[in-house]
Amino acid sequence: MIFIPFRGQARGFKLYSLCLLNFDESGRCYGRMTTEESKNMSLKIAGLAEKAMAGNRGSFQELMTMLQEDIYRLAYYRTFSQMDAEDITQEVFVQAYKKIKTLHDPQRFRAWLYTIAVNRCNDFLRKKKYLFLLQSRSAQEQEFVEADKMDNDYTDAIAKKKFWEQVRLLLDKLSTMERQVFTLRFMDHRNINDIATILGKNESTVKTHLYRALNKVREESLFFQEYRELIS
Amino acid sequence: MRKHNDEHLKQEQIIWAVVDEKELSEGDQLHLMRCQLCQDRVAQFMTELQVFGERAEFSVPPLTKILQMPAPERSTAKYRLSWIPFAGAAAMAGLVFFFYFLGMDAMSPKWTTVEGPDNLLEDEYLMQEISEIVEYPLPEELYEITGDAADIDDDFLEFVVPDFQENSQS
Repeated sequence: MIFIPFRGQARGFKLYSLCLLNFDESGRCYGRMTTEESKNMSLKIAGLAEKAMAGNRGSFQELMTMLQEDIYRLAYYRTFSQMDAEDITQEVFVQAYKKIKTLHDPQRFRAWLYTIAVNRCNDFLRKKKYLFLLQSRSAQEQEFVEADKMDNDYTDAIAKKKFWEQVRLLLDKLSTMERQVFTLRFMDHRNINDIATILGKNESTVKTHLYRALNKVREESLFFQEYRELIS
Repeated sequence: MRKHNDEHLKQEQIIWAVVDEKELSEGDQLHLMRCQLCQDRVAQFMTELQVFGERAEFSVPPLTKILQMPAPERSTAKYRLSWIPFAGAAAMAGLVFFFYFLGMDAMSPKWTTVEGPDNLLEDEYLMQEISEIVEYPLPEELYEITGDAADIDDDFLEFVVPDFQENSQS
Protein backbone atom coordinates (compact mmCIF):
# COMPACT_ATOMS: atom_id res chain seq x y z
CA MET A 1 0.00 0.00 0.00
CA ILE A 2 1.45 3.32 -1.02
CA PHE A 3 0.57 6.56 0.70
CA ILE A 4 1.07 9.97 -0.77
CA PRO A 5 2.30 12.61 1.64
CA PHE A 6 0.40 15.84 1.16
CA ARG A 7 2.35 18.22 3.32
CA GLY A 8 5.84 19.39 2.73
CA GLN A 9 5.71 18.51 -0.94
CA ALA A 10 6.48 20.96 -3.70
CA ARG A 11 3.08 22.29 -4.48
CA GLY A 12 3.53 23.31 -8.05
CA PHE A 13 2.47 26.46 -9.78
CA LYS A 14 -0.64 28.25 -10.73
CA LEU A 15 -1.43 30.09 -13.92
CA TYR A 16 -3.30 33.31 -13.40
CA SER A 17 -5.12 35.37 -15.93
CA LEU A 18 -3.09 38.48 -15.38
CA CYS A 19 0.10 37.20 -13.90
CA LEU A 20 1.84 33.95 -13.24
CA LEU A 21 2.11 33.40 -9.52
CA ASN A 22 4.39 31.06 -7.69
CA PHE A 23 3.49 29.25 -4.49
CA ASP A 24 5.58 27.85 -1.70
CA GLU A 25 5.06 24.56 0.11
CA SER A 26 2.28 25.88 2.31
CA GLY A 27 0.41 27.19 -0.69
CA ARG A 28 1.26 30.85 -0.15
CA CYS A 29 2.02 33.08 -3.05
CA TYR A 30 5.58 34.33 -2.96
CA GLY A 31 6.24 35.70 -6.36
CA ARG A 32 5.53 35.69 -10.01
CA MET A 33 6.17 32.71 -12.14
CA THR A 34 7.85 33.36 -15.43
CA THR A 35 6.41 32.21 -18.71
CA GLU A 36 9.40 29.92 -19.05
CA GLU A 37 8.66 28.29 -15.68
CA SER A 38 5.03 27.88 -16.61
CA LYS A 39 5.98 26.25 -19.89
CA ASN A 40 8.39 23.92 -18.10
CA MET A 41 5.66 23.01 -15.64
CA SER A 42 3.22 22.18 -18.44
CA LEU A 43 5.88 20.13 -20.17
CA LYS A 44 6.62 18.28 -16.95
CA ILE A 45 2.95 17.46 -16.44
CA ALA A 46 2.65 16.32 -20.06
CA GLY A 47 5.76 14.15 -19.71
CA LEU A 48 4.51 12.55 -16.53
CA ALA A 49 1.06 12.05 -18.05
CA GLU A 50 2.62 10.28 -21.02
CA LYS A 51 4.53 7.92 -18.74
CA ALA A 52 1.44 7.35 -16.61
CA MET A 53 -0.51 6.51 -19.75
CA ALA A 54 2.12 3.85 -20.48
CA GLY A 55 1.40 2.34 -17.06
CA ASN A 56 4.07 4.00 -14.92
CA ARG A 57 2.63 4.23 -11.42
CA GLY A 58 5.42 6.44 -10.15
CA SER A 59 4.60 9.11 -12.72
CA PHE A 60 0.96 9.03 -11.79
CA GLN A 61 1.89 9.33 -8.15
CA GLU A 62 3.96 12.40 -8.95
CA LEU A 63 1.08 13.93 -10.88
CA MET A 64 -1.17 13.21 -7.93
CA THR A 65 1.21 14.97 -5.57
CA MET A 66 1.46 17.97 -7.89
CA LEU A 67 -2.24 18.40 -8.56
CA GLN A 68 -4.03 17.07 -5.49
CA GLU A 69 -4.40 20.44 -3.82
CA ASP A 70 -5.76 22.07 -6.96
CA ILE A 71 -8.37 19.34 -7.26
CA TYR A 72 -9.13 19.53 -3.56
CA ARG A 73 -9.73 23.28 -3.78
CA LEU A 74 -11.89 22.83 -6.88
CA ALA A 75 -14.02 20.36 -4.92
CA TYR A 76 -14.14 22.63 -1.89
CA TYR A 77 -15.38 25.62 -3.94
CA ARG A 78 -18.31 23.51 -5.01
CA THR A 79 -19.12 21.55 -1.87
CA PHE A 80 -17.99 23.98 0.86
CA SER A 81 -17.12 20.93 2.93
CA GLN A 82 -13.62 19.81 3.77
CA MET A 83 -14.57 16.17 4.26
CA ASP A 84 -16.56 15.94 1.05
CA ALA A 85 -13.87 17.75 -0.91
CA GLU A 86 -11.24 15.32 0.36
CA ASP A 87 -13.36 12.32 -0.57
CA ILE A 88 -14.05 13.74 -4.02
CA THR A 89 -10.32 14.40 -4.54
CA GLN A 90 -9.55 10.78 -3.80
CA GLU A 91 -12.31 9.58 -6.12
CA VAL A 92 -11.08 11.86 -8.91
CA PHE A 93 -7.60 10.38 -8.82
CA VAL A 94 -8.92 6.82 -8.64
CA GLN A 95 -11.09 7.47 -11.68
CA ALA A 96 -8.25 9.23 -13.49
CA TYR A 97 -5.94 6.29 -12.85
CA LYS A 98 -8.48 3.83 -14.20
CA LYS A 99 -9.27 5.89 -17.29
CA ILE A 100 -5.86 7.33 -18.09
CA LYS A 101 -5.55 5.20 -21.21
CA THR A 102 -8.56 6.97 -22.69
CA LEU A 103 -6.65 10.27 -22.62
CA HIS A 104 -5.47 10.97 -26.14
CA ASP A 105 -3.25 13.99 -25.61
CA PRO A 106 -0.94 14.11 -22.57
CA GLN A 107 -0.78 17.89 -22.99
CA ARG A 108 -4.45 18.01 -21.99
CA PHE A 109 -4.01 15.98 -18.83
CA ARG A 110 -4.73 18.86 -16.50
CA ALA A 111 -7.91 19.91 -18.31
CA TRP A 112 -8.96 16.26 -18.49
CA LEU A 113 -8.43 15.85 -14.74
CA TYR A 114 -10.46 19.00 -14.09
CA THR A 115 -13.26 17.60 -16.26
CA ILE A 116 -13.38 14.50 -14.09
CA ALA A 117 -13.34 16.62 -10.95
CA VAL A 118 -16.13 18.93 -12.13
CA ASN A 119 -18.27 15.95 -13.12
CA ARG A 120 -17.66 14.25 -9.77
CA CYS A 121 -18.66 17.43 -7.97
CA ASN A 122 -21.82 17.73 -10.06
CA ASP A 123 -22.73 14.12 -9.26
CA PHE A 124 -22.07 14.73 -5.59
CA LEU A 125 -24.21 17.87 -5.49
CA ARG A 126 -27.01 16.09 -7.30
CA LYS A 127 -27.00 13.29 -4.72
CA LYS A 128 -26.69 15.75 -1.89
CA LYS A 129 -29.81 17.56 -3.02
CA TYR A 130 -31.82 14.44 -2.16
CA LEU A 131 -29.87 13.55 0.95
CA PHE A 132 -30.20 17.08 2.26
CA LEU A 133 -33.82 16.44 3.21
CA LEU A 134 -32.75 13.59 5.46
CA GLN A 135 -30.09 15.52 7.30
CA SER A 136 -30.98 16.94 10.67
CA ARG A 137 -28.41 19.63 10.38
CA SER A 138 -27.77 21.67 7.28
CA ALA A 139 -24.52 21.29 5.40
CA GLN A 140 -23.85 24.93 6.04
CA GLU A 141 -24.02 24.54 9.81
CA GLN A 142 -21.94 21.40 9.62
CA GLU A 143 -19.33 23.18 7.59
CA PHE A 144 -19.07 25.95 10.13
CA VAL A 145 -18.55 23.39 12.87
CA GLU A 146 -15.78 21.87 10.77
CA ALA A 147 -14.25 25.28 10.27
CA ASP A 148 -14.35 25.96 13.99
CA LYS A 149 -12.72 22.64 14.78
CA MET A 150 -10.14 23.22 12.13
CA ASP A 151 -9.01 26.67 13.15
CA ASN A 152 -7.73 27.41 16.55
CA ASP A 153 -7.55 31.03 15.67
CA TYR A 154 -11.09 32.08 16.35
CA THR A 155 -10.87 35.41 14.54
CA ASP A 156 -9.51 33.72 11.46
CA ALA A 157 -12.28 31.14 11.61
CA ILE A 158 -14.91 33.87 11.84
CA ALA A 159 -13.37 35.74 8.92
CA LYS A 160 -13.34 32.59 6.81
CA LYS A 161 -16.88 31.76 7.81
CA LYS A 162 -18.02 35.22 6.77
CA PHE A 163 -16.12 35.00 3.53
CA TRP A 164 -17.67 31.68 2.54
CA GLU A 165 -21.10 32.96 3.48
CA GLN A 166 -20.57 35.83 1.06
CA VAL A 167 -19.27 33.50 -1.62
CA ARG A 168 -22.30 31.28 -1.24
CA LEU A 169 -24.63 34.25 -1.57
CA LEU A 170 -22.75 35.49 -4.58
CA LEU A 171 -22.71 32.14 -6.35
CA ASP A 172 -26.38 31.54 -5.56
CA LYS A 173 -27.21 34.53 -7.75
CA LEU A 174 -25.65 32.86 -10.77
CA SER A 175 -27.13 30.16 -12.97
CA THR A 176 -25.47 26.74 -12.95
CA MET A 177 -23.41 27.40 -16.06
CA GLU A 178 -22.49 30.93 -15.01
CA ARG A 179 -21.37 29.57 -11.65
CA GLN A 180 -19.29 26.85 -13.30
CA VAL A 181 -17.59 29.27 -15.66
CA PHE A 182 -17.00 31.95 -13.02
CA THR A 183 -15.58 29.47 -10.51
CA LEU A 184 -13.29 27.85 -13.05
CA ARG A 185 -12.06 31.22 -14.30
CA PHE A 186 -11.51 33.20 -11.13
CA MET A 187 -11.23 30.60 -8.38
CA ASP A 188 -9.61 27.68 -10.19
CA HIS A 189 -7.67 30.08 -12.47
CA ARG A 190 -8.34 28.28 -15.74
CA ASN A 191 -8.21 30.10 -19.06
CA ILE A 192 -11.09 30.28 -21.52
CA ASN A 193 -9.72 27.49 -23.68
CA ASP A 194 -9.35 25.16 -20.70
CA ILE A 195 -12.83 25.99 -19.43
CA ALA A 196 -14.29 25.20 -22.85
CA THR A 197 -12.52 21.82 -22.79
CA ILE A 198 -13.51 21.06 -19.21
CA LEU A 199 -17.18 21.87 -19.74
CA GLY A 200 -17.37 20.54 -23.29
CA LYS A 201 -18.58 23.88 -24.67
CA ASN A 202 -17.20 26.16 -27.33
CA GLU A 203 -15.24 29.22 -26.33
CA SER A 204 -17.85 31.78 -27.37
CA THR A 205 -20.46 30.06 -25.17
CA VAL A 206 -18.03 30.14 -22.26
CA LYS A 207 -17.35 33.84 -22.85
CA THR A 208 -21.04 34.65 -22.98
CA HIS A 209 -21.69 32.86 -19.68
CA LEU A 210 -18.67 34.52 -18.15
CA TYR A 211 -19.87 37.93 -19.28
CA ARG A 212 -23.29 37.31 -17.73
CA ALA A 213 -21.72 36.07 -14.53
CA LEU A 214 -19.43 39.09 -14.27
CA ASN A 215 -22.33 41.41 -14.97
CA LYS A 216 -24.15 39.95 -11.97
CA VAL A 217 -21.04 39.86 -9.83
CA ARG A 218 -20.28 43.49 -10.64
CA GLU A 219 -23.64 44.43 -9.18
CA GLU A 220 -22.48 43.04 -5.87
CA SER A 221 -20.55 46.19 -5.20
CA LEU A 222 -20.63 45.64 -1.43
CA PHE A 223 -18.99 42.28 -1.80
CA PHE A 224 -16.08 43.72 -3.72
CA GLN A 225 -15.82 46.88 -1.65
CA GLU A 226 -13.57 45.06 0.76
CA TYR A 227 -11.24 44.06 -2.04
CA ARG A 228 -11.24 47.53 -3.52
CA GLU A 229 -10.13 48.90 -0.18
CA LEU A 230 -7.53 46.20 0.06
CA ILE A 231 -6.20 47.03 -3.39
CA SER A 232 -6.25 50.79 -2.88
CA MET B 1 -20.62 49.88 -31.21
CA ARG B 2 -18.87 53.11 -30.49
CA LYS B 3 -17.96 55.23 -33.44
CA HIS B 4 -15.56 57.63 -31.78
CA ASN B 5 -12.42 56.42 -30.11
CA ASP B 6 -12.40 59.33 -27.72
CA GLU B 7 -15.49 58.06 -25.86
CA HIS B 8 -14.73 56.02 -22.77
CA LEU B 9 -15.77 52.40 -22.58
CA LYS B 10 -19.15 51.62 -21.07
CA GLN B 11 -19.64 49.21 -18.21
CA GLU B 12 -20.52 46.28 -20.47
CA GLN B 13 -17.43 46.90 -22.56
CA ILE B 14 -15.29 46.92 -19.43
CA ILE B 15 -16.74 43.53 -18.55
CA TRP B 16 -16.08 42.24 -22.07
CA ALA B 17 -12.53 43.50 -21.76
CA VAL B 18 -12.17 41.43 -18.60
CA VAL B 19 -13.63 38.37 -20.32
CA ASP B 20 -11.52 38.78 -23.46
CA GLU B 21 -10.22 41.99 -25.00
CA LYS B 22 -10.55 40.48 -28.47
CA GLU B 23 -14.31 40.49 -28.04
CA LEU B 24 -14.26 44.30 -28.21
CA SER B 25 -14.59 46.06 -31.52
CA GLU B 26 -11.44 47.36 -33.16
CA GLY B 27 -12.34 50.92 -32.21
CA ASP B 28 -12.84 49.97 -28.58
CA GLN B 29 -9.61 47.99 -28.51
CA LEU B 30 -7.81 51.01 -29.93
CA HIS B 31 -9.37 53.28 -27.32
CA LEU B 32 -8.45 50.91 -24.54
CA MET B 33 -4.86 50.87 -25.70
CA ARG B 34 -4.68 54.63 -25.55
CA CYS B 35 -6.97 55.56 -22.64
CA GLN B 36 -5.36 55.24 -19.22
CA LEU B 37 -8.68 55.73 -17.41
CA CYS B 38 -10.36 52.82 -19.20
CA GLN B 39 -7.26 50.68 -18.71
CA ASP B 40 -7.40 51.43 -14.98
CA ARG B 41 -11.08 50.52 -14.80
CA VAL B 42 -10.46 47.20 -16.53
CA ALA B 43 -7.38 46.53 -14.41
CA GLN B 44 -9.23 47.36 -11.22
CA PHE B 45 -12.05 44.95 -11.95
CA MET B 46 -9.58 42.25 -12.91
CA THR B 47 -7.58 42.85 -9.76
CA GLU B 48 -10.72 42.67 -7.63
CA LEU B 49 -11.51 39.31 -9.14
CA GLN B 50 -7.94 38.17 -8.73
CA VAL B 51 -7.82 39.19 -5.08
CA PHE B 52 -11.14 37.46 -4.57
CA GLY B 53 -9.68 34.28 -6.09
CA GLU B 54 -6.61 34.48 -3.89
CA ARG B 55 -8.73 35.06 -0.81
CA ALA B 56 -10.79 32.03 -1.70
CA GLU B 57 -7.66 29.98 -2.14
CA PHE B 58 -6.27 30.94 1.25
CA SER B 59 -9.61 30.42 2.99
CA VAL B 60 -9.81 26.79 1.98
CA PRO B 61 -8.99 24.51 4.93
CA PRO B 62 -5.86 22.45 4.40
CA LEU B 63 -6.09 19.00 2.90
CA THR B 64 -5.81 16.64 5.87
CA LYS B 65 -6.63 13.33 4.24
CA ILE B 66 -3.72 11.25 3.00
CA LEU B 67 -4.65 10.36 -0.52
CA GLN B 68 -4.17 6.75 -1.38
CA MET B 69 -2.59 5.70 -4.62
CA PRO B 70 -5.17 3.75 -6.65
CA ALA B 71 -4.60 0.01 -6.81
CA PRO B 72 -2.89 -1.18 -10.01
CA GLU B 73 -5.24 -2.42 -12.65
CA ARG B 74 -4.84 -5.98 -13.90
CA SER B 75 -3.81 -6.06 -17.53
CA THR B 76 -6.28 -7.65 -19.94
CA ALA B 77 -3.75 -10.22 -21.19
CA LYS B 78 -2.90 -11.34 -17.66
CA TYR B 79 -6.59 -11.41 -16.79
CA ARG B 80 -7.24 -13.71 -19.74
CA LEU B 81 -4.28 -15.94 -18.89
CA SER B 82 -5.41 -16.23 -15.30
CA TRP B 83 -8.39 -18.27 -16.48
CA ILE B 84 -6.24 -21.00 -18.03
CA PRO B 85 -5.34 -22.86 -14.79
CA PHE B 86 -8.98 -22.72 -13.68
CA ALA B 87 -10.17 -24.05 -17.03
CA GLY B 88 -7.56 -26.86 -16.86
CA ALA B 89 -8.61 -27.81 -13.36
CA ALA B 90 -12.26 -27.85 -14.41
CA ALA B 91 -11.46 -30.08 -17.40
CA MET B 92 -9.51 -32.47 -15.18
CA ALA B 93 -12.36 -32.63 -12.69
CA GLY B 94 -14.75 -33.35 -15.56
CA LEU B 95 -12.60 -36.22 -16.80
CA VAL B 96 -12.29 -37.70 -13.31
CA PHE B 97 -16.05 -37.67 -12.88
CA PHE B 98 -16.55 -39.11 -16.33
CA PHE B 99 -14.27 -42.08 -15.72
CA TYR B 100 -15.57 -42.54 -12.21
CA PHE B 101 -19.14 -42.93 -13.39
CA LEU B 102 -18.00 -45.09 -16.29
CA GLY B 103 -16.29 -47.44 -13.80
CA MET B 104 -19.36 -47.54 -11.61
CA ASP B 105 -21.45 -48.56 -14.58
CA ALA B 106 -19.09 -51.36 -15.53
CA MET B 107 -19.01 -52.74 -12.01
CA SER B 108 -22.76 -52.67 -11.43
CA PRO B 109 -24.63 -56.14 -11.37
CA LYS B 110 -26.23 -57.20 -14.61
CA TRP B 111 -28.83 -59.91 -15.53
CA THR B 112 -27.20 -62.34 -17.88
CA THR B 113 -28.80 -65.30 -19.77
CA VAL B 114 -27.63 -68.82 -19.02
CA GLU B 115 -26.56 -70.33 -22.25
CA GLY B 116 -24.58 -73.53 -21.39
CA PRO B 117 -26.22 -77.06 -21.84
CA ASP B 118 -25.18 -78.03 -18.37
CA ASN B 119 -27.02 -75.10 -16.96
CA LEU B 120 -30.13 -76.01 -18.96
CA LEU B 121 -30.04 -79.57 -17.62
CA GLU B 122 -29.71 -78.34 -14.09
CA ASP B 123 -32.73 -76.15 -14.63
CA GLU B 124 -34.73 -79.05 -15.88
CA TYR B 125 -33.85 -81.12 -12.82
CA LEU B 126 -34.77 -78.26 -10.65
CA MET B 127 -38.14 -77.91 -12.33
CA GLN B 128 -38.80 -81.63 -11.89
CA GLU B 129 -38.04 -81.39 -8.19
CA ILE B 130 -40.35 -78.46 -7.91
CA SER B 131 -43.15 -80.33 -9.71
CA GLU B 132 -42.68 -83.32 -7.42
CA ILE B 133 -42.82 -81.15 -4.37
CA VAL B 134 -46.02 -79.60 -5.70
CA GLU B 135 -47.54 -82.98 -6.37
CA TYR B 136 -46.37 -84.65 -3.20
CA PRO B 137 -45.86 -82.00 -0.61
CA LEU B 138 -45.99 -84.36 2.41
CA PRO B 139 -43.30 -86.80 3.56
CA GLU B 140 -43.63 -90.45 2.58
CA GLU B 141 -44.51 -91.59 6.14
CA LEU B 142 -47.60 -89.51 6.07
CA TYR B 143 -48.67 -90.97 2.77
CA GLU B 144 -48.46 -94.51 4.33
CA ILE B 145 -50.89 -93.45 6.99
CA THR B 146 -53.31 -92.02 4.53
CA GLY B 147 -52.94 -94.94 2.22
CA ASP B 148 -51.85 -92.94 -0.73
CA ALA B 149 -48.43 -94.50 -0.65
CA ALA B 150 -49.64 -98.17 -0.78
CA ASP B 151 -50.19 -99.95 -4.06
CA ILE B 152 -53.86 -99.64 -4.12
CA ASP B 153 -55.26 -99.85 -7.55
CA ASP B 154 -58.75 -99.10 -8.87
CA ASP B 155 -59.99 -102.70 -8.71
CA PHE B 156 -59.18 -102.91 -5.06
CA LEU B 157 -60.97 -99.73 -4.42
CA GLU B 158 -63.99 -101.01 -6.37
CA PHE B 159 -64.00 -104.03 -4.20
CA VAL B 160 -63.85 -102.07 -1.03
CA VAL B 161 -66.22 -99.41 -2.13
CA PRO B 162 -68.58 -100.71 -4.84
CA ASP B 163 -70.09 -98.29 -7.28
CA PHE B 164 -73.55 -97.22 -6.19
CA GLN B 165 -75.07 -97.02 -9.68
CA GLU B 166 -73.97 -100.50 -10.62
CA ASN B 167 -75.57 -101.92 -7.44
CA SER B 168 -78.88 -100.24 -8.02
CA GLN B 169 -79.17 -101.65 -11.57
CA SER B 170 -78.52 -105.19 -10.53
